[in-house]
Amino acid sequence: MSVPRNTGERPLLALQSIDKWYGEVHALRHVTLQVNSSEIVGLIGDNGAGKSTLIKVISGVVPRDGGQIWWKGRDVSLGSVREAQALGIETVHQDRAVVGTMSVARNIFLGREPTRGIGPFRVLDRERMAIEAERLLSDLRLHISSVDQEARFCSGGEMQGVAISRAMHFKASLVILDEPTTALAVTGVQTVLSFIRRLKEDHIACIFVTHNLHDVYAVADRFLVMARGVVVSNIRRDEVTVEELVQMQLAGKAVA
Amino acid sequence: MPATRRRTMQRVELLVVKNLIWAILALVFLGFSVTLPNFFTLQNVHFVLYVASAIGLLVFAESLVLISGSMDLSVAHIAGLSSMFVGALTIRWCPFLPGWTGLVLIVIVGAILGSINGFLVGRMRINPFLVTLSTFLMYNWLTFYINRGAISDVSPALVFPGGGRLAGIFVAIPIMLLVCALLGFVLTRTRFGGYIHALGGNSEAARMLGISLPWMNFWVFTIAGVLAGLSGLLYIGYLASIPSTIAGGDDIFLAFAGAIIGGVSLKGGEGSMTGALGGVLLLGMIDTGTAMTLINPALRGFLNGLILLLAILINKYRIALRDKLLMSRPGAMGMPA
Repeated sequence: MSVPRNTGERPLLALQSIDKWYGEVHALRHVTLQVNSSEIVGLIGDNGAGKSTLIKVISGVVPRDGGQIWWKGRDVSLGSVREAQALGIETVHQDRAVVGTMSVARNIFLGREPTRGIGPFRVLDRERMAIEAERLLSDLRLHISSVDQEARFCSGGEMQGVAISRAMHFKASLVILDEPTTALAVTGVQTVLSFIRRLKEDHIACIFVTHNLHDVYAVADRFLVMARGVVVSNIRRDEVTVEELVQMQLAGKAVA
Repeated sequence: MPATRRRTMQRVELLVVKNLIWAILALVFLGFSVTLPNFFTLQNVHFVLYVASAIGLLVFAESLVLISGSMDLSVAHIAGLSSMFVGALTIRWCPFLPGWTGLVLIVIVGAILGSINGFLVGRMRINPFLVTLSTFLMYNWLTFYINRGAISDVSPALVFPGGGRLAGIFVAIPIMLLVCALLGFVLTRTRFGGYIHALGGNSEAARMLGISLPWMNFWVFTIAGVLAGLSGLLYIGYLASIPSTIAGGDDIFLAFAGAIIGGVSLKGGEGSMTGALGGVLLLGMIDTGTAMTLINPALRGFLNGLILLLAILINKYRIALRDKLLMSRPGAMGMPA
């Protein structure tokens, strides 16, 4: 497989021959791919192509059954979400990773809250969470009335923004967006696309998983097309049209 | 109506709706005070709190488990089995043990019984209803197996926390209030408490953010066991003996009732210890109030059920009203600020 836009620097993330089995199902078959820093990669393919499984492996949610992963040139195990987060891989799982009954501020920091105190006697630093949350949301130009508002009162686009602010706050190098526009209205889609452009400005790489090619085409640098657990095409945006990508997605193979 | 006045109205409404349990509590208190001549006395208020102490700890245990998105049918029988086991151990089997060891042992036994639930729910991923239904039966009948009847020669050390007084006040009351405050602190101010809410609110999200579900489930059920053990200790003092029916009967249902009356959601993720305390006090007040009217005890049990049903209905409308008020707050969801 050719490495697109190889500028001589080592890739941010490299996967070599990744395999994943779910019982009898061979969900990922020798998947090999690379993502360079501040690159936006659109991962596309039909239902059951293996997109979700692939991002679950990269984000540490499920272990892989074979193959190797390098992060900034270093061999990594990626055995847990915590490990992926520590490396700088943040995953935005649609709006499913937002707890509706908790406040917007608490959601942004969930799992990694700032605390103050000594030793085991640590309490949440609620003031810091509120201040940071306000700053993050205004950076993203999200106008949520209060960071103390319960997340379930947020619109789909706002929830997406909450999840994306996590990635911004924890200084990720790679952000994986799983179907970020599926549940959204048109204005929400525009909001998410502007988030993604923001990520690129901050030199954060992005893997954008989607069904909807028309959304992703405008922002992506490169596309990976998956079918039946295999990466069937790896192509730069300036080498392909939307129509050709749609054809590839339908045919499940590269169309020249 | 001018906008500022409407906003003030909404703020007041929201305050009432969020603290409805305390409004109900005040109404019931007023009702009993007017109809019963001896109800509105300091002595009686003291007694209401005392009656609520042992069941209170069970309500707190159940609230914690419910907020985490599970349920625990066995808490009352953990209270029963840990008190019976420790009673039999310190009085019958190993009478050489000093009385105070029972205080420590009862908490340890409660923790172990709770951790069995926690292991099965957390590590083995078995449905909490099925797990605690099984342990409910096992713990109940083990209590009877250890001793059929009552142990009445309980050591003074074991009786003191649930039956003793300091400066005229039953020790059980500050124990219950302290536990409530501590749990409230953990739930609202610590990471662990936040993860309990997250687990109940959206366990899939919690998992994807790297929170360990098995670990959280294990500790929530274990802490519920500790609280149940403490509750057993208070029951021993309250009854000044250990009958094999200790913490049996309706108590498990009252634990659920107190939590739900206090605004804890059966679906998980929602509820507070202040709310649960309100539920506990309502149960205690109704128990005391109806006892003073000398109505048939069977009717008192019936009344408990009726009150639970009313609480559920009120809560249903309370939540709908609260959400409506929150949504229409200026600035929320695109409303003009």
